[in-house]
Amino acid sequence: MIAVILLLSVAASLFLFLRPAAGNTAEIYVDGALYRRVELGKITAPERIEVRTERGVNVILAELGRIRVESADCPDQVCVEAGWLEASAAPIVCLPHRVVIKLTGETSLDAEAG
Amino acid sequence: MSIRRIARDAVLTAAALTIFIVELQIPAPAPIPGVKLGLANIVTLVALFTLGPWDALAVLLCRVTLGAVFAGNMTALLYSLTGGLLALAVTVLTRKLLTERQIWVASVFAAMAHNLGQILAAVLVTSTPALFAWLPPLLVSGIVTGVFTGLAAQFAVGRLGKILRESNGK
Repeated sequence: MIAVILLLSVAASLFLFLRPAAGNTAEIYVDGALYRRVELGKITAPERIEVRTERGVNVILAELGRIRVESADCPDQVCVEAGWLEASAAPIVCLPHRVVIKLTGETSLDAEAG
Repeated sequence: MSIRRIARDAVLTAAALTIFIVELQIPAPAPIPGVKLGLANIVTLVALFTLGPWDALAVLLCRVTLGAVFAGNMTALLYSLTGGLLALAVTVLTRKLLTERQIWVASVFAAMAHNLGQILAAVLVTSTPALFAWLPPLLVSGIVTGVFTGLAAQFAVGRLGKILRESNGK
């Protein structure tokens, strides 16, 4: 049973992290609420976004097709070490500051349709 | 609660805290939120298998709370606590079905329960269901580290079990 769960988890992880682009729009959430939406496909110059909450600061860097947390004053730095988010379905998370960055395809589809 | 019991559980808590603080110095093996070796859980397992659920609970609560204070990471407390309590509950249930040579099995189930608990807490706190995406990689690491900490606990129970049980008095 343990082996089965292990295999399933490995398969699910590979699927999540290796599958092609989830979308070209990054959404930044703070405390579960949408804070900012960035069209990564339409960025001409790298953009720095500072997310300031009473819990701390995350400096997010958006470039053409990718986004990352450049620096943060959280204790664990997991969000910074996560590196660039460009195709993965797994979001970048800063748990101490309750900041989440995830990719979605919804807006770009809407844009294409409209 | 006898003084003997308080002293013994305090020694176990001190051991768990020491392991916890030392583990903080080891960099996370992967940039996955919540990934840890979880070596301090060895002590929780030893306490559970030699002394029973209440002593294990006391050691767990003291270690997690003091650990968050010493690490200066109070926000991690919620995730550690949810994960830790769920893991202990699962271990208490599986303990009846297992012998002392299968502590590592209980440890793997505990690790998986821990991962589930911490992700649940994170999803609730951030109200972001997308965080469940981190559960599979977290489970992979949890199963691997669970075997390791479980075997460590198994050896520890083999060597310390007699002393710890005798400390119950009688």
